[in-house]
Amino acid sequence: MTNRLLALLACALLCAPAALRAQDPRLDARLDARTRDAVVGLIDSVRAEGIPSEPLVQKALEGASKHADGARILAAVHKLAGELGDARAALGASSTDAEIIAGASALHAGIPPAALARMRASRAHGSLTVALAVLSDLVARGVPGDTATTVISALANAGAPDAELLQFQQGVERDIAKGATPAAALGVRAQSAFPRAVAPRTP
Amino acid sequence: MRQHDDLDSMEQDDGVIERVAEELRRPLRVNAALFDARVMDEVLRTPSGLRARIASLVQPRTFRVSPLVALAAGLLFAVSVAGSLLYVLPASPRAVAHTPARTAPGSPIVQFGFVAPHASSVALVGDFNDWDPKATPLRAASTGGVWSVEVPIQPGRHLYAFVVDGTVWRPDPAAPKATGEDFGEPNSALTVADPGAR
Repeated sequence: MTNRLLALLACALLCAPAALRAQDPRLDARLDARTRDAVVGLIDSVRAEGIPSEPLVQKALEGASKHADGARILAAVHKLAGELGDARAALGASSTDAEIIAGASALHAGIPPAALARMRASRAHGSLTVALAVLSDLVARGVPGDTATTVISALANAGAPDAELLQFQQGVERDIAKGATPAAALGVRAQSAFPRAVAPRTP
Repeated sequence: MRQHDDLDSMEQDDGVIERVAEELRRPLRVNAALFDARVMDEVLRTPSGLRARIASLVQPRTFRVSPLVALAAGLLFAVSVAGSLLYVLPASPRAVAHTPARTAPGSPIVQFGFVAPHASSVALVGDFNDWDPKATPLRAASTGGVWSVEVPIQPGRHLYAFVVDGTVWRPDPAAPKATGEDFGEPNSALTVADPGAR
């Protein structure tokens, strides 16, 4: 009888952490048990640090929909968790989830964490979500990261509204599609759209 | 005997010719009133001004064209028809621009479009619908192979793609391509501005 009680107690103690872990039926339905447990463990640790965890769930579901194997899904989720943590560290603890997610995408594109910190310092009270997203997309289109960071930081610091930042990005993309080099397209658009915010560059 | 008969025949012919010539030499007698009326009838029957121009357009005409010019005109016509068909019917799926159409309570509505004339189904997948190919099917327009759907999307940065015929993943060519392909299939990036933000 005593042995039976001890066994039940040990079982309860072992099972308690798993029961306390975040349960997500979306992961249960689309991941194998081993991958799901690993992803859930990662989500728990990220959540404990105040980092948004939904992007990790979505990354795992994206991998499942694309029929990636468990190891690949886990590697992608682990990498994203690191980027989210770095973005939060660079942007500050008071950053919103949307800012941290956009910051992680900028880091993924190759923008250094120090650049994110400088952008936060230059725009302490306004949202950086759209500015960081525009920065990521411009770098993805081939604009050099340091140039893009300089221009977008200047525009954000000058108080350019989100809608104008998005229009600015679309203009650069149109010019690139017409044949302009990414750096030249960015420079021309910056000078024409916000002549007071971005000083002309000397050749 | 036969020679004598030929001479008689020739003499008879000469008489006939002489009578015909005499008839033709006579001045023509014309009834003046009747002649004027016939002339006026003919004048009235002939279209003039706008009627004449219209009649000239309606009347069939015969053109003469050299074979070289006809060949050039035929080639020009074939090229213009082929160009029109290529413009109207794109050979491969392509996306049309998506724009924030309007704002629903809480989230802006974003319109997604995709051109796939030969597809039997197109679905939108992204981090706003759990990457579920069954969650957001696009509807096909009656013509042109254009598929579209409107979806409320929370402000922020999102990743998405299209799934054609349930198996083929396609990024949105009209949108920025997301950096990094963790699972081998490229995604597109979408940034939705917060309507309340400045």
